[in-house]
Formats: sequence, structure tokens, C-alpha cells
Amino acid sequence: MHTNGASSELFDNLRLELRRGCLVVAILAQLHTEHYGYALRKALAGQGLVIDENTLYPLLRRLENQGLLVSQWREEEKRNKRFYRLSPLGEEVLPDLLGEWHQMNSALERILGDREFAAAPQSGSHSKEEK
Amino acid sequence: MPATKSDLIDRYLHAVKFWLPKAQQEDIVAELGEDLLSQVEEREAALGHKLDEDELAAILKKRGSPMRVSSGYLPEQRLINPAMLPVYRLVLKIVLCWVFVPLFAFVFLGPVLTFARPWEMVLRCAVEYWRAAFMTVGMVTVVFALLDRYQVRFKRADNWDPRKLPRVPTAQDTTTRWNHLAGAIFGVAATGFWVYLMWQRSEFSFPGGARLILGPVWGQIYWPVIGMTLTSAFFDLLSSLYPRWARVRSRVRIGVDVCALAIVAVLLKAGNFVEIAGGNFSVADLANKTAWFNGLIGYTVIAAAVIEIGDAIHEVRRLLRSKHGKPAAIPTT
Repeated sequence: MHTNGASSELFDNLRLELRRGCLVVAILAQLHTEHYGYALRKALAGQGLVIDENTLYPLLRRLENQGLLVSQWREEEKRNKRFYRLSPLGEEVLPDLLGEWHQMNSALERILGDREFAAAPQSGSHSKEEK
Repeated sequence: MPATKSDLIDRYLHAVKFWLPKAQQEDIVAELGEDLLSQVEEREAALGHKLDEDELAAILKKRGSPMRVSSGYLPEQRLINPAMLPVYRLVLKIVLCWVFVPLFAFVFLGPVLTFARPWEMVLRCAVEYWRAAFMTVGMVTVVFALLDRYQVRFKRADNWDPRKLPRVPTAQDTTTRWNHLAGAIFGVAATGFWVYLMWQRSEFSFPGGARLILGPVWGQIYWPVIGMTLTSAFFDLLSSLYPRWARVRSRVRIGVDVCALAIVAVLLKAGNFVEIAGGNFSVADLANKTAWFNGLIGYTVIAAAVIEIGDAIHEVRRLLRSKHGKPAAIPTT
């Protein structure tokens, strides 16, 4: 599947675009409960959403700068960790985002209908962690 | 001596810190360090032993180079607004191709034709062109970067009207394009001929010793003629490339025609265009020939003025027709 370098790169770019928005929704939803970065990554990975550290931490900062998250440093297990959770604004925005996602998902389901598309196996360059 | 776990991580974090924004350095590095330590601990628990230097280096290598890691924290930066890139490219294309090339050709044509070693002059022209081109690209880029930096919005880009978009070119427009291109070529050729003929020239010598001495008025009109013909050629070229600018071209043509009439006025006021000297002519013959020659030039100049007036009237009619919405012979905006 997509052994050609150009098509592989194209697939990676498309995959990146497809997942970019979903990651924000997933992180916001997961941070209904407070997590520190490493624990958040493990929690997301445990639910099938593998996310690269170099993507997660800058994204957390961006969401915090946008006012969707709040964070605080706290000591846990004898180490200082930065804990993130949804801010009041995040609580307000998340349902709207989820509504949008559900709407898009339903539309896609309808568009795809009964048509079957062979899914590429998650191997090679396509199974790389989220960038 | 092998590096310790702490030493390798510290060195890695220090390298990352170097690239980070100052205000956030400590915070980001602390969080990154905590994440790395958590990952190391998890790995050690899975393996059942402390990580050795190679295993730790592998974790850090997988995390990515310090510069790559830090780049994720940097704000997205751009020099030019992507929406302005087509305009940026257009400006550079016009300046570098359609202004500089004819300008340099014109400035260096005279010296290339008259210098003893023309190749040296060609080489100098090329060097000067690239120098000017690099400077221009730099300046244009700075201007566009400033426009983006200060969020300058173009009224025209926001308040556009679909009804004012240029109409789709027709076959007739294509013909007009070729006419404009021919006008541009003629303008450049005329400029080249003028430069070749008049470059630092005060007289023409003929076999037999006769000399045609140019009056001072030719020196006065040398640069205006060049400016006028090049301007006209430039806008003809633009009109052939970008038909929607044909209205601008018409206005410029009218301006050029007015300038041409002014030059004609200067010439006619001077009256004494040339003098003939030398050769085996008597004084009376020389006076007759000089008068005949001056008369010929005078009539030619008047004929040129009539043509310019006709051209100006034609362009005014074109402008009026396109302004009143009638399909003109040229593409309109």
C-alpha cells in the first residue's frame, strides 16, 4: 500500500490534516478530568489515539493560550508536574465542537453509505505516530 | 567516562532551551524534562533495569533533535501574507522582467555598440542587473512583509464587485494583444535606433567631407524622447500581457501623445535643427541645403504631431467607449 514515496508523503499530509482537528476535540474531551502531559498521552493512547509528544505539548500550550485550558504546577510522586484541565471557556466550547463533529461524522456516514473502501493496514510510514 | 542519565537529559534539555522563546524557556523545559523522566521510568520498569547510556540516547533520539522539538513551541511565522503572494510575484515579475530588462538594454545598448570591448560591457550589464535584481527583490519583500506586519488591508481586495471583473477575452482581444505587443517591440526598437543614432552625437559625417551638424535642440530632447518611447513601449507590453490594464495604457498613451506634442513644440520653436558644413559646396549651396533640410525636418515633425493628435483622439474615444459599457476594441476593466 502506498509504497511509492510521493503517494506515501501525500497520504501522511492528508492524514495529518484529517487528524489535526480531531486531536483538539479528543484532548479537550479527555481534559474534562485533570491530567498532566505524560498521563494524558498514555490515556489517549490507551483509547487508541496515539499522539506524539512533540505534537501534544505545543498543542496543550496553544489551547491554554486560547483560553480553552488552564494549568497548574503541582507536586505528585515527588516530582513537579503540570496539570491541565478544561477552562470554563473550554467547557462552553467543547459541546459545540462535539456537535460539529457529530454532524460531520453523520454526513460522512451518509456519503459513504454502503460503499466499502479497503482500509490500509496501519504499517510502514502510515502507522507513524501523530505528528 | 560514560554520561549519566541526568547528564544526557540535562544536555538535551539545555540544547532545546537554546531555541525556545526566552519568556517560556524554563516552563517548557521543566515540563519536557518531567515527561522524559516519566518515559524513562516507564521504560526502566518494563525492562526491569536501569537504562544504560545507549538506551537513554535512543529515547532522546526518538524524541527528535533539539531544534525540531523546540520548533513546535514557536509561533507560526511568515514573511508575507499568502493571500498577497500572487501580487508579490506579479510585482517582481513586472519589475525584474518588464522594467529592468528593457531599462538595462537601453542603458547599456549605446556603450555596447560604441565601446572597443563590447563583451566587457555585456558582462558589466549582467553583473549590474543581478545586483539591482537582488536589491529590488529584497526591497519588495520588505515592503510586503511590512504590509503583512501592520495588517494593511487593500480596499480593492475587500470591496470587489463581480460586475467589474474583466470580461473573457475574445478573438478580437487576442488580435489587439498582438497589436500591443507589436507596439512594444516597435517602441523598444525605436528607442534603440534613437540611442544608436544620437548617443553622444553632435554631427554626422558624410563621404566628401560634408557634415550635418545637429542643433542644440536635439540634446535637449534626447532624454525626453527616450523616456516617452520607453514608457509607451512598457505600457504596450503590459497591455499585451494583462489586457485588463488596457484602460491604463490608453491614459498613458494620451499622456505620451501630449509629451510628444510638447517635444514637437520645443523643436519647432528652436527652428534651426541642423547646419550643413564642409564638402565641396559654395556658401550659397550650403545655405540652400541647410534650409531645405531644416524644412524637411520641420514638415516631418509637423506630420508626427498630426499623427500624435490623431492617436490621442483615438485613445480618448476608446476610453469613452469602454467607460460607457460598450464593447471596446480592447479588453476593459
